[in-house]
Amino acid sequence: MSSMLYIQLRRKNEVKDRLINRGWFVISVAVVWILTYFVSRGVLETADLSSTARIVVALIPAIPFAAFLWLWITNIGQLDEMERKIQMEALAFAFPMAILLLMVLGLLQLAIPLSPEDWSYRHVWSFLPLFYFAGLALAWRKYK
Amino acid sequence: MRSSLRVLRAEREWSQGDLAEQLGVSRQTINAIETGKYEPSLTLAFKIARLFGRTIEEIFDPGVEA
Repeated sequence: MSSMLYIQLRRKNEVKDRLINRGWFVISVAVVWILTYFVSRGVLETADLSSTARIVVALIPAIPFAAFLWLWITNIGQLDEMERKIQMEALAFAFPMAILLLMVLGLLQLAIPLSPEDWSYRHVWSFLPLFYFAGLALAWRKYK
Repeated sequence: MRSSLRVLRAEREWSQGDLAEQLGVSRQTINAIETGKYEPSLTLAFKIARLFGRTIEEIFDPGVEA
Protein backbone atom coordinates (compact mmCIF):
# COMPACT_ATOMS: atom_id res chain seq x y z
CA MET A 1 0.00 0.00 0.00
CA SER A 2 2.75 2.43 0.99
CA SER A 3 4.76 1.55 -2.12
CA MET A 4 1.68 2.32 -4.25
CA LEU A 5 1.32 5.70 -2.52
CA TYR A 6 5.05 6.32 -3.09
CA ILE A 7 4.72 5.50 -6.81
CA GLN A 8 1.63 7.72 -7.05
CA LEU A 9 3.41 10.65 -5.35
CA ARG A 10 6.52 10.14 -7.49
CA ARG A 11 4.39 10.19 -10.66
CA LYS A 12 2.72 13.42 -9.50
CA ASN A 13 6.14 14.94 -8.76
CA GLU A 14 7.32 13.96 -12.24
CA VAL A 15 4.22 15.64 -13.74
CA LYS A 16 4.91 18.75 -11.64
CA ASP A 17 8.56 18.83 -12.77
CA ARG A 18 7.46 18.49 -16.40
CA LEU A 19 5.06 21.41 -15.92
CA ILE A 20 7.80 23.60 -14.41
CA ASN A 21 10.15 22.71 -17.27
CA ARG A 22 7.36 23.38 -19.76
CA GLY A 23 6.71 26.76 -18.10
CA TRP A 24 10.34 27.71 -18.60
CA PHE A 25 10.15 26.53 -22.19
CA VAL A 26 7.11 28.77 -22.80
CA ILE A 27 9.00 31.74 -21.30
CA SER A 28 12.06 30.93 -23.43
CA VAL A 29 9.99 30.89 -26.63
CA ALA A 30 8.35 34.19 -25.54
CA VAL A 31 11.85 35.69 -25.14
CA VAL A 32 12.81 34.44 -28.63
CA TRP A 33 9.61 36.01 -30.02
CA ILE A 34 10.33 39.39 -28.33
CA LEU A 35 13.97 39.33 -29.48
CA THR A 36 12.88 38.49 -33.04
CA TYR A 37 10.44 41.38 -32.91
CA PHE A 38 13.12 43.88 -31.90
CA VAL A 39 15.58 42.53 -34.48
CA SER A 40 12.92 42.82 -37.20
CA ARG A 41 12.03 46.31 -36.03
CA GLY A 42 15.69 47.34 -35.99
CA VAL A 43 16.23 45.96 -39.49
CA LEU A 44 13.10 47.69 -40.82
CA GLU A 45 14.11 51.01 -39.24
CA THR A 46 17.72 50.98 -40.43
CA ALA A 47 18.30 48.67 -43.40
CA ASP A 48 17.64 49.60 -47.00
CA LEU A 49 15.67 46.63 -48.33
CA SER A 50 13.24 45.96 -51.16
CA SER A 51 9.49 46.03 -50.40
CA THR A 52 9.27 42.23 -50.58
CA ALA A 53 12.18 41.78 -48.20
CA ARG A 54 10.66 44.33 -45.82
CA ILE A 55 7.38 42.40 -45.75
CA VAL A 56 9.24 39.14 -45.10
CA VAL A 57 11.21 40.74 -42.25
CA ALA A 58 7.98 42.21 -40.82
CA LEU A 59 6.34 38.77 -40.81
CA ILE A 60 9.25 36.85 -39.26
CA PRO A 61 8.21 37.50 -35.60
CA ALA A 62 4.88 35.82 -36.35
CA ILE A 63 6.71 32.45 -36.54
CA PRO A 64 8.06 32.37 -32.95
CA PHE A 65 4.77 33.95 -31.84
CA ALA A 66 2.81 31.05 -33.36
CA ALA A 67 5.06 28.61 -31.44
CA PHE A 68 4.58 30.65 -28.27
CA LEU A 69 0.80 30.71 -28.75
CA TRP A 70 0.61 26.94 -29.22
CA LEU A 71 2.74 26.29 -26.13
CA TRP A 72 0.79 28.88 -24.13
CA ILE A 73 -2.58 27.29 -24.96
CA THR A 74 -1.39 23.75 -24.26
CA ASN A 75 0.18 24.97 -21.02
CA ILE A 76 -3.12 26.51 -19.88
CA GLY A 77 -4.71 23.11 -20.46
CA GLN A 78 -2.34 21.70 -17.81
CA LEU A 79 -3.32 24.22 -15.13
CA ASP A 80 -5.68 23.38 -12.30
CA GLU A 81 -9.18 24.84 -12.09
CA MET A 82 -8.31 27.87 -9.94
CA GLU A 83 -5.31 28.76 -12.11
CA ARG A 84 -7.54 28.57 -15.21
CA LYS A 85 -10.07 30.84 -13.51
CA ILE A 86 -7.27 33.31 -12.79
CA GLN A 87 -6.21 33.23 -16.45
CA MET A 88 -9.81 33.82 -17.51
CA GLU A 89 -10.18 36.77 -15.13
CA ALA A 90 -6.88 38.23 -16.37
CA LEU A 91 -8.15 38.08 -19.95
CA ALA A 92 -11.58 39.36 -18.88
CA PHE A 93 -9.73 42.46 -17.64
CA ALA A 94 -7.23 42.75 -20.49
CA PHE A 95 -9.67 42.40 -23.40
CA PRO A 96 -12.02 45.30 -22.46
CA MET A 97 -8.95 47.39 -21.60
CA ALA A 98 -7.62 46.73 -25.12
CA ILE A 99 -10.98 47.82 -26.55
CA LEU A 100 -10.89 50.95 -24.40
CA LEU A 101 -7.34 51.82 -25.49
CA LEU A 102 -8.08 51.39 -29.20
CA MET A 103 -11.38 53.25 -28.94
CA VAL A 104 -9.83 56.21 -27.09
CA LEU A 105 -6.84 56.35 -29.44
CA GLY A 106 -9.19 56.25 -32.44
CA LEU A 107 -11.23 59.16 -31.09
CA LEU A 108 -8.13 61.09 -30.05
CA GLN A 109 -6.79 60.64 -33.56
CA LEU A 110 -9.89 62.46 -34.80
CA ALA A 111 -9.58 65.14 -32.11
CA ILE A 112 -5.89 65.94 -32.31
CA PRO A 113 -2.98 64.87 -34.53
CA LEU A 114 -1.31 61.93 -32.79
CA SER A 115 2.35 61.45 -33.56
CA PRO A 116 2.95 58.10 -35.31
CA GLU A 117 6.34 58.10 -33.60
CA ASP A 118 4.51 57.61 -30.28
CA TRP A 119 1.13 56.06 -31.10
CA SER A 120 1.52 53.78 -34.10
CA TYR A 121 0.60 50.05 -34.04
CA ARG A 122 4.19 49.19 -33.19
CA HIS A 123 3.86 51.15 -29.95
CA VAL A 124 0.27 50.39 -29.03
CA TRP A 125 0.46 46.56 -29.13
CA SER A 126 2.88 46.52 -26.21
CA PHE A 127 0.10 47.87 -23.96
CA LEU A 128 -1.92 44.67 -24.47
CA PRO A 129 0.48 42.31 -22.63
CA LEU A 130 0.69 44.95 -19.89
CA PHE A 131 -3.10 44.83 -19.51
CA TYR A 132 -2.91 41.04 -19.30
CA PHE A 133 -0.22 41.15 -16.60
CA ALA A 134 -2.20 43.77 -14.67
CA GLY A 135 -5.28 41.54 -14.89
CA LEU A 136 -3.20 38.57 -13.78
CA ALA A 137 -1.87 40.48 -10.77
CA LEU A 138 -5.39 41.57 -9.78
CA ALA A 139 -6.77 38.05 -10.12
CA TRP A 140 -3.88 36.49 -8.17
CA ARG A 141 -4.39 39.02 -5.39
CA LYS A 142 -8.03 38.01 -5.14
CA TYR A 143 -7.23 34.35 -4.45
CA LYS A 144 -3.98 34.79 -2.52
CA MET B 1 -17.74 29.26 1.65
CA ARG B 2 -16.49 27.79 4.94
CA SER B 3 -14.75 24.44 4.98
CA SER B 4 -13.18 22.09 7.50
CA LEU B 5 -10.41 21.27 5.06
CA ARG B 6 -7.65 22.80 7.19
CA VAL B 7 -8.76 20.81 10.25
CA LEU B 8 -9.00 17.54 8.30
CA ARG B 9 -5.60 18.14 6.75
CA ALA B 10 -4.04 18.98 10.13
CA GLU B 11 -5.50 15.79 11.65
CA ARG B 12 -3.53 13.80 9.08
CA GLU B 13 -0.47 16.02 9.52
CA TRP B 14 -0.40 16.84 5.82
CA SER B 15 1.03 20.07 4.52
CA GLN B 16 -0.88 22.06 1.92
CA GLY B 17 1.66 20.78 -0.61
CA ASP B 18 0.99 17.14 0.37
CA LEU B 19 -2.75 17.59 -0.07
CA ALA B 20 -2.27 19.50 -3.32
CA GLU B 21 -0.17 16.65 -4.73
CA GLN B 22 -2.77 14.06 -3.83
CA LEU B 23 -5.54 16.10 -5.44
CA GLY B 24 -3.50 17.11 -8.49
CA VAL B 25 -3.89 20.86 -7.87
CA SER B 26 -1.50 23.63 -6.82
CA ARG B 27 -0.70 24.51 -3.21
CA GLN B 28 -2.16 27.97 -3.85
CA THR B 29 -5.49 26.37 -4.75
CA ILE B 30 -5.57 24.45 -1.46
CA ASN B 31 -4.73 27.65 0.42
CA ALA B 32 -7.47 29.59 -1.39
CA ILE B 33 -10.04 26.86 -0.59
CA GLU B 34 -9.00 26.77 3.08
CA THR B 35 -9.24 30.53 3.45
CA GLY B 36 -12.62 30.58 1.69
CA LYS B 37 -11.36 32.67 -1.22
CA TYR B 38 -12.00 30.03 -3.83
CA GLU B 39 -14.97 27.68 -4.13
CA PRO B 40 -13.91 24.36 -5.65
CA SER B 41 -15.79 22.81 -8.54
CA LEU B 42 -18.07 19.86 -7.81
CA THR B 43 -15.45 17.53 -9.29
CA LEU B 44 -12.73 18.80 -6.95
CA ALA B 45 -15.13 18.83 -4.00
CA PHE B 46 -15.92 15.14 -4.64
CA LYS B 47 -12.20 14.34 -4.88
CA ILE B 48 -11.58 16.08 -1.55
CA ALA B 49 -14.55 14.32 0.08
CA ARG B 50 -13.41 10.90 -1.17
CA LEU B 51 -9.84 11.50 -0.02
CA PHE B 52 -11.00 12.25 3.53
CA GLY B 53 -13.78 9.63 3.51
CA ARG B 54 -16.46 12.24 4.19
CA THR B 55 -19.41 13.69 2.31
CA ILE B 56 -19.15 17.08 0.62
CA GLU B 57 -21.64 18.53 3.13
CA GLU B 58 -19.45 17.42 6.03
CA ILE B 59 -16.48 19.33 4.62
CA PHE B 60 -18.03 22.37 2.95
CA ASP B 61 -20.61 24.72 4.38
CA PRO B 62 -22.03 27.29 1.96
CA GLY B 63 -23.28 29.27 4.96
CA VAL B 64 -26.68 29.94 3.37
CA GLU B 65 -29.53 27.43 3.21
CA ALA B 66 -30.91 26.98 -0.32
